[in-house]
Amino acid sequence: MLSLRNVGKCYGEVEAVVDVSLDIPRGAIYGFLGPNGAGKTTTIRSIMNIVPPDEGEILFDGLPLDRERLDRVGYLPEERGLYRKMQCVDQLAFLAELKSVPRREGRALAEQWLERLELGDWKDKKVDALSKGMQQKVQFAATFLFSPDLVILDEPFSGLDPLNIELLRDIIRAENERGCTIIFSTHMLAEAEQLCDSICLIEGGRKILDGSLEEVREDFPLRSVKVVYSDGAAPPKDLADVTQSKPDDDGWRLTLREGADLDALLDRLRAQGSLSLFSANRPSLQEIFLTAVRRRRAEAGEEVAS
Amino acid sequence: MKTLAIIRREYLERVRSKGFIISTVLIPVMMSLVLLIPMLTVDKVDAERTVGVVDPSGVHFETLRTILDERERPRIVLIPLESAPGAREDAIAEMTDRIRDEDLDAGLAIAPDFIESRQATFYSKSVSAGIVREMIAPALNRVLRENRFAEAGVPDSLHAYLSAWTDWTTLSVSEEGETTSRDNDAVFAVAFTLIMILYMMVLVYGQQTLTGVIEEKSSRVVEVILSSVPASRLMSGKILGIGAAGLTQVAIWTAAIVALSTRGINVGGMSIDASFLTPLMLASFVIFFVLGFMLFSTLYAGVGALCNTVQESQQFATPIAMFVIIPMMLLTLVMMAPSGTVATILSLVPFFTPILMFMRVCLETPPVWQILLSWALMVATIYLLMRAAGKLFRVGILMHGAAPSWGTLVKVLRQGD
Repeated sequence: MLSLRNVGKCYGEVEAVVDVSLDIPRGAIYGFLGPNGAGKTTTIRSIMNIVPPDEGEILFDGLPLDRERLDRVGYLPEERGLYRKMQCVDQLAFLAELKSVPRREGRALAEQWLERLELGDWKDKKVDALSKGMQQKVQFAATFLFSPDLVILDEPFSGLDPLNIELLRDIIRAENERGCTIIFSTHMLAEAEQLCDSICLIEGGRKILDGSLEEVREDFPLRSVKVVYSDGAAPPKDLADVTQSKPDDDGWRLTLREGADLDALLDRLRAQGSLSLFSANRPSLQEIFLTAVRRRRAEAGEEVAS
Repeated sequence: MKTLAIIRREYLERVRSKGFIISTVLIPVMMSLVLLIPMLTVDKVDAERTVGVVDPSGVHFETLRTILDERERPRIVLIPLESAPGAREDAIAEMTDRIRDEDLDAGLAIAPDFIESRQATFYSKSVSAGIVREMIAPALNRVLRENRFAEAGVPDSLHAYLSAWTDWTTLSVSEEGETTSRDNDAVFAVAFTLIMILYMMVLVYGQQTLTGVIEEKSSRVVEVILSSVPASRLMSGKILGIGAAGLTQVAIWTAAIVALSTRGINVGGMSIDASFLTPLMLASFVIFFVLGFMLFSTLYAGVGALCNTVQESQQFATPIAMFVIIPMMLLTLVMMAPSGTVATILSLVPFFTPILMFMRVCLETPPVWQILLSWALMVATIYLLMRAAGKLFRVGILMHGAAPSWGTLVKVLRQGD
């Protein structure tokens, strides 16, 4: 649906984005992950043509993403902002009009969406009168109002209470089922894990990895297991394939060597005593994220050294 | 269509604001005050003046009083001072004392043999009594002449014939060759009022563009807008919307003036007469407002995009305002010789054109080619400024943080697109 081909952007001497190529499949909820300052927002602004990229191209269904096609793309910027002196309905109708929705239609849609976001009573209020969370919901409505084919959400849940997060998450899922592709930028990895089916990881302006969650996880094999003995004993020290063991809550976390034999490890542990827990979870995005970022930083360090 | 949406939003936000409604009412009130205050002080100049008269003959005094009473303003009250034969010097001494004590505003001593010697002396303490002397002098001349006519035995019919005054008509010659009779003072008052409005509107609405851009920037709404429309369209939509709001205000005032003048309503003793507002003046007012506003608001929009707060913008906004203030200071220069070389050249400088060329249009009709040239120069300048401001806008509108300097401004302008 959306493809980035070798996109690059410099601000003066600073390389904000370097040679990023991505393919975002139609109908996906795509996680755009990376630490703060990694170049996520610059990449998104390049996609939205707010800051045109210096290099590379951005294709929408195989065609350059021009102004007309941008009318099919919704954008929720990280820095939220609305006209303070405008009524909610007018505001939404205006923002919809900028996406080529006729005014009358825009107003009707605005009322529907305010209703859907539990802001029906506030539709004639000026934005000034709304709480920050409410303003954020109004802006969220503006992003989806015109039934876009693609929506880019930059940190959509920051500053919201759990109830509202749940409300917005349901709407994101519903809109995705309607057929809207969603790009979801965040550094909250647990969020991404819950919602996304594909991700990419950006660090230092470069793409480190991308693909479906499954693919990404396969590239990052199991790295640790958790072990709890019923008598609370510590696991033996001389375990094969285990590089490190340290206490973790009520038990112990064992870090594994690559290609570790889990069956052999379990047999060895059971020989030691009665196990109440042996947990071998898939690596969390958190672990993948940390590993990948550290690995890249180490490589970059080597490059600098040599 | 998107530009139209932006224009509509800007327009409605302004027209619906309290500030718009208040200024629509308040500015005419202020303008009439500006015009009324000089009128009130003129009244003071018009106040009664007392003049002591030493007239040994005793007859000239009455004639002089009759002549002076024909005029209404300033009212001069003549006070006869007794002068017994031979005591003229005493009477004069008494008169000068009373002038010194400000009991009298001025004094007049007529020679005993006035008809032969033509001698009279005017006494006053302050220079401002000059206006009194200028009133009395022609009156005394008439006294002299009528006496000499009578002495020479000129018959009444011939007397009337000889003492007739010039019958003046004041006509102004326009470029088209037609002549119209008009009251130059009134034309000047109307022109000056229009220029004050023009000056204020260009500054006020230009500054609104500046604050509008900064507000959009600081409320961060700009990023959403830019995801839907290019920066250049946001800028032009904004300028056009705000300009339309300004024109609306002008239209309201014009309608009010026309309505009041057709009903002949007096405001503060001053009758509003819209007949001086020729269609040419009104049309050129609108054109000069539109061009002037476009020129200055483009500048304001460009620098507004670089700034984060209104305070930060002042270092740029003040020099821009100077370009509006300078022509106001040059106004007298143009008024003295509206067709002179200096006035012609100054009125062709695009930044000065709205005010100076408009003044020339009001005072007389400059050659059409000059008006057209001034418009062409303004349009060209606006085009160049729009390109530069567009660049500032594109680069600056997403810049946050450090306060901008003249250095960043130049740097941004030098950068390629």
